[in-house]
Amino acid sequence: MRDFLDAYSIQYWLESCPQGYLEGTEYGHRPGEKEPELLLDDPTLREQAISTTVQLVVGERCALAASSGLINAAPDEASRRFLATQTLDEARHVEIFTQRLYDLGVKKSELEDVIDAFANPNLVKFAEILLEKVDKKDFVAGVVGQNVILEGMAFHVFEMMHATSEKLNPKFAHTLSGTIADERRHVGFGENRIGSLIQAHPEKKPEIERMQRDMSYYMLATFADRFRDTASREEVQRMRREAGSDGAGSGTWQGANLADLEPEEMERLLADTILGEFKKRLARIGIEYQTPARP
Amino acid sequence: MKGDEEATGGSTEVGERRRYELDDQGFDEVPKKYRKFYRRWKGPGDELAPNEIFCPVCRIVIRSPREIRPGDRIYCMACMTRLRAVRGPDGRIVAEVEYT
Ligand SMILES: [Fe+2]
Ligand SMILES: [Fe+2]
Ligand SMILES: [Zn+2]
Repeated sequence: MRDFLDAYSIQYWLESCPQGYLEGTEYGHRPGEKEPELLLDDPTLREQAISTTVQLVVGERCALAASSGLINAAPDEASRRFLATQTLDEARHVEIFTQRLYDLGVKKSELEDVIDAFANPNLVKFAEILLEKVDKKDFVAGVVGQNVILEGMAFHVFEMMHATSEKLNPKFAHTLSGTIADERRHVGFGENRIGSLIQAHPEKKPEIERMQRDMSYYMLATFADRFRDTASREEVQRMRREAGSDGAGSGTWQGANLADLEPEEMERLLADTILGEFKKRLARIGIEYQTPARP
Repeated sequence: MKGDEEATGGSTEVGERRRYELDDQGFDEVPKKYRKFYRRWKGPGDELAPNEIFCPVCRIVIRSPREIRPGDRIYCMACMTRLRAVRGPDGRIVAEVEYT
C-alpha cells in the first residue's frame, strides 16, 4: 500500500484529469455542444439559468481563493502540491461556469455587474466565513471549511443538477460531470489530511465546530432563497412541461425521481442529504457536527 | 451455497474466495488501466456484489477481482483514500476510512 501523501502527485493528476476525463473537452463539455434552444429563447428560463450559474461562479471563486491561499499555510510538501492541483481545478471551474454565463448571453463587459446583481447574499456570507480562516493562514480550519463543508455541499449540488440536466441539457451535464470528478479528489484530500491533523490539534475543535455550524446555516439560507423563489418553481414546472415530461426529462437522485418533487421537497432532500453527509464526514475526522438553525 | 447471496458483500469468510472477471463499466475518472476497478454508484437502491464496496468518501463503487472480506485493505483511487473492509451493524460489508 502506498503512502497516501505520495498519491498527491502532479503526475497522477495529469494522467487522471487533463489526460483522462477532460481530454477532448471544451470548457468541460463535448466540442460543439450548445445550451438548449428552449433555455435561450425563453427570458424567464434564461434568467433563471444565469442566476443559478452565478451562484456556481461565486462558490468556485471562493474555492479558488481558498485553495490558493492555503498552499503557503500547508505543513508539508505533498499537501502544497495537492493544493496546487486543486487551485488549477478551481480556476478551471470558475472559467467553465463563467463561460456558461457567456453562452447564456451575458456580455463580457457586463459580467461583474451580473454577478453582483445575482449573487445570493447568504452564499457570500458562507464564503466570507471560510476566507476569514484562510486569511489567518489557519490550515486545519481552512481545509475543513473548504474541502469538507464547501466541497461537500458543492459535490451534492452538482450531483443533483447533473441528474436534472442529463436529459434536458447534456452540455451542462457534461460540464458538471468533470467538476464532480474533481470534487472527489478534493473531498478525499480534506478527509485524509485533516483526519490526522485534528488528532494532533484537538484544541482547534470548538472553533471548527462553530465554523461548520455557521457555514451550514448560510448554506441552508441560500437553498431556502433559491428553492422558495416563485420564479424557480415556474422554471421547474415549465421545463417539465416543455420536455413533455411526467418525469422523462429529469433523472433520479438519492433514490427520488426529481420530476415528482415540488421545489420545497427538493430543497429538503438536498439539505438533508448534505447535512447527513457533513455529519458522517465530520465524525470520521473526529469533529462533532453542530446542528445549524433552520432559516 | 445458500446465504451466500443474501447479505450484500455475500462473504462467507471461509474457504476459497470467489474470483471475478472485471470489465470496464465506463468509469473514466482514473487512468485507463485502472478503470475496470471502479464503477459509478446508482443511488440508494444499488445492490453491491460480493466483490464490490462503496467508498464513503467519494461515493463510488470499488470492484475487486475477488470476493471482499472483513479486514481487507482497499484503495480508492478516485479520492485517494485508504479503506478497510469491516462488517457493518446490519451484516453488510462496509468500508472504513484509514487515516495516517
Ligand atoms: Fe470547484
Ligand atoms: Fe473543489
Ligand atoms: Zn473514494
